[in-house]
Amino acid sequence: MDPITFSIIRHRLYRIVDEAVITLKNVSGSAITNEGHDLMVSLYRADGSLLMGGVGFLHHLTSAAEACQSIIRRFGDRIEEGDIYLLNDPYTAALHTSDVYLVSPIHHHGQLVAWSACFVHVYDIGAKNPGGFCPDADSIYIEGFSSPGIRLVRGGEIIGDVFDTLMNMVRSPEMVALDISSMIACNNVARDRMQALIDKYGAATVDEACQTLIANSESQLRARLLELPDGQWQSRQYLNVGSDVSKVVLTMTKRADELNFDFSGSSAQSTHAVNCTKWASLGGLFAPLFPLLCYDITWNEGVIRPIQMTAPEGSIVNCTRPAPVSVATVGAIQSVNNAACSTIGKLLATSEKYRREATAVWHANHFAIFKFGRNQHNREGIGILTETFAGAGGARTFADGVDVGGEVPNPISRMANVETVENMFPIRYRYRRLRCDSGGAGYYRGGAGMDLAITPHDAPDGGIHYVVSGKGAAFPMSDGLAGGYPGAPNAYLWHKHGVDDSTDASVVETEPVDWGVFPLMGSDTLEVRWNGGGGVGDPLQRSSEAVLADVGAGVVSNEVAVAVYGVVIDGGAIDSVATTARREQLRSARVGGATPRKPIKGLPVPLECGHHDGSVSVSCAGCGEILAGHGEAWKAKLLPIESPMNEIMSAYSTIDGVSLHQYVCPVCGALLDSETVYADDPPLLDYVGAIPDA
Amino acid sequence: MSYIVATDVGGTCTDTVIAASDGAVHIGKVLSTPPDFATGVIDSIRSAATAMGLSSTALLADTNLFVHGSTVVDNTLLTSSGSHTGLITTRGFEDTLRVTRGAYGRWSGLPEDQIKHPVATDRPSPLVDIGCIRGVPERIDYKGAIVEPLDTAAASTAIRYLLDEQQVSAIAVCLLWSFRNPQHERAIRDLINEIAPACYVTLSSDIAPLPGEYERTSTTVINAYAGTVVQSYMENLHSLLATEGYDGPILVMQGHGGLLPVAEASSRAVGMIECGPVAGLIGSRHLGQVLSESNIIAVDMGGTTSKVGVIQNGALDYAREPMVNRYHYLAPKIEVASIGAGGGSIIGLETGSLAPIVGPQSAGSRPGPVCYGNGGTQPTLTDVMLLVGYMHPEHFLGGSIALDRSACLDVFDQVIATPLGMSVEEAAFGIYRVACSQMSDLIHEITVERGLDPRDYVLHAFGGTCPMLAAVFARELNVARIVVPHTASVNCAFGLVASDVVHEYTETQLLGLPAPADKLNAHFEPMVNAAREALGAEGFSNDQIRIECAVAMRYGLQVHELVTPVAGGFPLSDAHVEQQIVAFEQLYEQRYGRGSAYREAGVELTQFRVTGRGLMQRPGLVSLPLGSSDPTPAKIGTRQILVESRNAFVESPIYDFAKLRPGNEVAGPAVIHTPVTTIVLQEAQTGRIDAYMNTVIEFE
Repeated sequence: MDPITFSIIRHRLYRIVDEAVITLKNVSGSAITNEGHDLMVSLYRADGSLLMGGVGFLHHLTSAAEACQSIIRRFGDRIEEGDIYLLNDPYTAALHTSDVYLVSPIHHHGQLVAWSACFVHVYDIGAKNPGGFCPDADSIYIEGFSSPGIRLVRGGEIIGDVFDTLMNMVRSPEMVALDISSMIACNNVARDRMQALIDKYGAATVDEACQTLIANSESQLRARLLELPDGQWQSRQYLNVGSDVSKVVLTMTKRADELNFDFSGSSAQSTHAVNCTKWASLGGLFAPLFPLLCYDITWNEGVIRPIQMTAPEGSIVNCTRPAPVSVATVGAIQSVNNAACSTIGKLLATSEKYRREATAVWHANHFAIFKFGRNQHNREGIGILTETFAGAGGARTFADGVDVGGEVPNPISRMANVETVENMFPIRYRYRRLRCDSGGAGYYRGGAGMDLAITPHDAPDGGIHYVVSGKGAAFPMSDGLAGGYPGAPNAYLWHKHGVDDSTDASVVETEPVDWGVFPLMGSDTLEVRWNGGGGVGDPLQRSSEAVLADVGAGVVSNEVAVAVYGVVIDGGAIDSVATTARREQLRSARVGGATPRKPIKGLPVPLECGHHDGSVSVSCAGCGEILAGHGEAWKAKLLPIESPMNEIMSAYSTIDGVSLHQYVCPVCGALLDSETVYADDPPLLDYVGAIPDA
Repeated sequence: MSYIVATDVGGTCTDTVIAASDGAVHIGKVLSTPPDFATGVIDSIRSAATAMGLSSTALLADTNLFVHGSTVVDNTLLTSSGSHTGLITTRGFEDTLRVTRGAYGRWSGLPEDQIKHPVATDRPSPLVDIGCIRGVPERIDYKGAIVEPLDTAAASTAIRYLLDEQQVSAIAVCLLWSFRNPQHERAIRDLINEIAPACYVTLSSDIAPLPGEYERTSTTVINAYAGTVVQSYMENLHSLLATEGYDGPILVMQGHGGLLPVAEASSRAVGMIECGPVAGLIGSRHLGQVLSESNIIAVDMGGTTSKVGVIQNGALDYAREPMVNRYHYLAPKIEVASIGAGGGSIIGLETGSLAPIVGPQSAGSRPGPVCYGNGGTQPTLTDVMLLVGYMHPEHFLGGSIALDRSACLDVFDQVIATPLGMSVEEAAFGIYRVACSQMSDLIHEITVERGLDPRDYVLHAFGGTCPMLAAVFARELNVARIVVPHTASVNCAFGLVASDVVHEYTETQLLGLPAPADKLNAHFEPMVNAAREALGAEGFSNDQIRIECAVAMRYGLQVHELVTPVAGGFPLSDAHVEQQIVAFEQLYEQRYGRGSAYREAGVELTQFRVTGRGLMQRPGLVSLPLGSSDPTPAKIGTRQILVESRNAFVESPIYDFAKLRPGNEVAGPAVIHTPVTTIVLQEAQTGRIDAYMNTVIEFE
C-alpha cells in the first residue's frame, strides 16, 4: 500500500480512538473514569478482530474483540446500522459484570465495515455488595445483572424498555445511566469519524490500510521474537482469601517467532470471586505484553496472532459457570498480569539488545475498597479508594522502579487528592505517606508503595462502611527480577479505638480486614499499606550511597539496610569499613560460610546468555563462570537458600509456610534469582536455548 | 505625541510594539539574550526607536506606560536555575509532592508513544530536594475547622533545620485545607520572617487558594523556586529602564491573560508562566474584535511545536490541568494547547512500513532545516516547503537568509524519496499531505475536547510555516475562513497592548443550588471590594473598572467543573441564581456533549470567582481605504508550486506582500511572500487584503 496514504489513515485512526476517549470521559464525569482512567476504547474490523487499541485498562482489548465476535455470532444478519449492543457476561467475553461493554457496528453505505467498543466500570451493577466487587458472592448469580449480548440502541435510538429494565436492577440508576450515555456518545464519535474517514478515502483503501496496519504489527512482533533466544520461563502467583490459598502458574515458551503461555498447574477454580474466565486470562496476559514487548508496535490483531494460550478448564484462570468472578480484575486477572510481566521480563533480560525493556513486576496487588454511606452533605455515595490506581513501579535493569509509579496494564492512572476525598466522604486521612521497605530490594530497588490511614470525620451516621476485596495480602506478589526481592505485600488493618498518627498507643485492638464488608465508626482507623514494586538484581551490589539516600528518604529502614543491603549507616553517613565487612559476611554466608572462590563484579542483571554456533550457554557475569549449557535448567546448578518470608523483614508480614527461595552463583555468591514459595511447591525452572519436552 | 511601549521576551526573539497616540503602530525585533533577558528588552526598544528615527531615551521620555511579557520563569524552570528551596507540609503528608498523585506525574506531559512505553518513563526530578521537606503537626479539616492546632515549637525546629542544615534560601508552605483556613500557614510565615527575614516565602493560601493539595503544593514550590529570580529580574529591568530615562508604570503580563503592576507580579512568579503565547491569543482576540469575529482558532507554528488557542464567543478558556516542564500548577491560566508539529519537525520513515512520520523530533533552530545550511542533515517540514515550491531562496525572510536548495534536494532524495521508491516531487507532495492531515487531526481533537464545531470558526495562522499549510488543513477542518494577520510577526507583543489590568480572586466553598442570592453575594462582596480597592489604588477611575463575577459549578457526584460567568454581575438577585443554573446546564452540554448533563444529582457551586478589570487604552488599528481588487501590480513572477487538489506542480503567480494594497484579491493557486512568512493559496481559494492589511482567505 502507498505509504503516504497509509500514514495519513493510520494517524487518523489513532485520533479517532483518542477523540472517543475524550468523549467518554467528558460525558461520564465520574471519578473512576476520569481519575482512575478505568476505561477502554478500541476499534475493530468488520469481523471483530482488533484494529486499534487505545490506552486504557489493556486487559480489555482482546476481550472486547471477543465481545464484538460474539455479537456477530448471536445477531448475525440482524445487525443493523445505528445499533449498539451491551454485553457484560464474563462467561461470554467480559471480565466481570461491572465492566460493561458497549459495542457498535459501523456501517458505510449499508455495509458493515468496522466496530467500535468501549467500557467503563459502571457506578453499580446490582450485585449483592455496592460498587460491583462482591466479596460475598458464592456464584455469579448474585454478582449483578449480566447479559451475553442485548441490543440497547436501534437506529440511533435507545430502546426504552431494555434500558429501563437494566436501570431497574442497579443502585443509583441515574449514575449508571450517565455511564451508559457516555459509552453511547463515545461509540457515536468513533462511528462518525470512521465514516468520514471512509467517505474521504473509500472503503477499499481504508480496509487495505487496516490490513496493512495489522500485517505490520504482526511482522514487527515476529521479527522481535526472532531476535530473542528460544527458551522457557516460569512464574507463579499466589492469592489467598483468608486461609484459602490459590495459585496461578505460568510456563511461557518462546519458540522461533511465537510465544505460548501455558497456565497448566494453576489451582482449581475458587469458591471466592477471584476467578476469571478464559477471555479474561487472555486479556490478562496481553495487558503487560502490549506495553512491554510492543511499546513501538500498534496494538492490534497482528500482535495477537503469534501468541497462544493454554488455560485448563475449571481452573482459577478458566473457571466454569456459575463460579463467581466479580473480583476477577484485581484477582486472577491481575495474577495473570503479574505472571506474564515476570516471564516476559525474564525473556527480555536474556537479550543484550532488549535488556533495558525488562522490568520486575509493578504494583501487583490492587486493593479494591469501596466506601459507601451517607456523607457530611447528607448524600449517599459509593466511591473507590483511588489510591489503588497509584501503584508502584517495578525496578528496571537501568534504574529503580518509580515510587508510587502506577502499573503496566493501565498506563494512564492517578489517585485523587486527599482534599477531594475528604470533601466527598465523611472521613479524614491521618496520613498518606511513602511506605518504608515496601519496594523490593535489589541492585535497583522496586518503587515504594504507600501507607494511608482514614478515620470517620463529621459522619452523620457516625461513620461509613466499606467493601474490601483484599485478596492476596499473605503473599508478596510484585516479583523481583534477576535475584531482586519482591515488593512487600498489602496489609489492611482495622485499628479499633483510634490511633493517633503513627503511635499505636491508643489502639485497643488491631484486626486484619481483607475480605468482606466492614464498618468504620467512631475514631477507628482503617490503615491500608500497599505493595511496592519488585527489585532487580542483587541488593549487596547496590551502591551504598543509593541505600543511604533511600534511608534518608524514608523508603528503606536502617534494619533492612544492614540486613538485606549490607550497608551500615552511622550518624547519617556510610560506615564504609563496616559496610564492606557486612557485605562480605553476607556474601560468604550465601556460599556456605566460605570465602567465595572468585571476586564479584557488580551488575544489575548478572545472568548472561552467550550465543555460540546456535547454542546458548548461561553464565554468571558477576564472575564469568559458565553455569549451564544449551537448554539446561540453569537454576539447578545454583546454590539454593530458603528463608521464611516473615523473618527477612517486618514488611514481609505473611502467613506461615511462605518463604523466599534465592539462588546464588556457587562461585562468587552473586544473587541470580529469587522466588516466593508456599508450602512445598517445586522451584520454577527456566531454560534458555533448547526447550524441554512437555 | 505619547507612547505605550510593549515588549515581549520569547525564547528566540524579543519583540516590541509601540502604540503612538496618533494611532500609528511601530515594531522592533531582536534576538533574545538569555540568561540576561533584560538586556534584550532594551535592545528591542532601541530597535523600534531607531525604526521611528528616535533615540530610545527620546522615545521613553514620551512613554507613559511600559507593558512587559517575559519567558523568565519558563526559562528558570527549563534551566533548573531557581533557588535552593525548602517545603513545609502537614505532618503525615510530606510525600505529597514527590508522589505526584501516583503515576500522574510520570505520564503527564508525555506524548502518546512514550506513554505506551512505561518502562522508559520517569517523573521529572522535583524542584525541592527530598531532604528539604518537613512536616509539622497541625490539621485543618474540610470546613476550615482546626482539628489539631499548629505546634509552633515543631514548626520553628523545621524552619531552622531547613535554613541551617539545608541552607535553603526560599521556603514554600503548603498545609492541608489552608485555602479554607490560612491561619496555620500565616503563623509559619511569621515564624520564618522572625527567624530569617531575608528568606523568600510562598504560602499556598496566597498563591493558589484552591483545593487539591498535590497541585497546590507543586504551585507553591514553583513560585518559591523561581521567586527570587523574578524579583531580581524585575529590579534589573527597572533600573535599566530608569537608566534610559523611563520611570513610569510597568505592567507585567500574566498567564491568565491580564496585566499586573510590577510590584505584585514580582511576588507571583507562577503567574508569568507561558504568558507569551497567552498574549498572542489576546492579540488574536483583539484583532477578532476589530474584524467582528468572536470565534477564532489561533495556530502559531514555531520551530518545534504549534501553539493552538481557542476563542469562543470572544472568551478565552482556562486550562484545566496546566503544566510547565511537566510540573503541575494551579493558577488561572488561559489554555494554549501544544502540538508536536513545527517548521523544524523532522521527517522520518518508519522501519518496515516506510510510513512517513512528521515530528515530534525537531531540528530546532540549530542545526535547523537542511536548507538553512547550518549543518542540518535530517529533512524537516521547512525543507518540504522549499521542495514543493512554496518557499523560495530569494524570498525567505525578505531575502535575508539564503536557502540551500541543492543540499535540501540531496538529503531529501537520499533519506525519503529513494527509500520510498518515489521521485523527490512525488515524495514531497506526499509528505505535505501527511503534515496537513496531521495538523487537521490534532486541531480537530482540540475542538472535540471543547465540544465546538470548527465550521463556526475563523483560523488565525501565525508563524513562518503555518500559512503554507493552513490553506489545506483549515479547509479540511471546515473552518469558515483563514486570516493571516498583518501583526503576525509581533503578535505576542501586540497582545500586550491589547490587555487589561486584571486581578483575580477566588474562594472555594461548596454550596448546593439553588440558594438565596444573599448567600452568594456574601461570598462575592469581600472579593469585589478588594478588586475595586486594588484597581482604585492603581489609578483606575470607577468608569474604567469592570467587575466580573463567575462561579465554578458541577453536577453532584461529578468531577467536571465549569466556570460559569454571572451574567447580571454583582450583586445577584434570586432570579440571577436561577439563570445561573440554566446557563451552567447549557454550557455543560455544549462542552461535554449531548446527554452529559446529570440533573438528577443537582447542581453544586464549588468556587466563587471575581475578576477585577482595569480597562486600558487599546491601540486603534488604522483602517486603510479599500482600493482595486486587481493584485497585478504586486505580481513578481510565476513559478511551479504544488497544487494540492491536483497533486501536481502548476505554474502559478507569485506576489510580493509589500506591493499588495487593501482591496486586492489574489486568486489561488498563488504564493504571497511577506517579510516574515509565506502565504499559500490553493485552488478555489481567494486571498483578500483587508483594510488592516490582513490576508483573508476564503474558500469557494
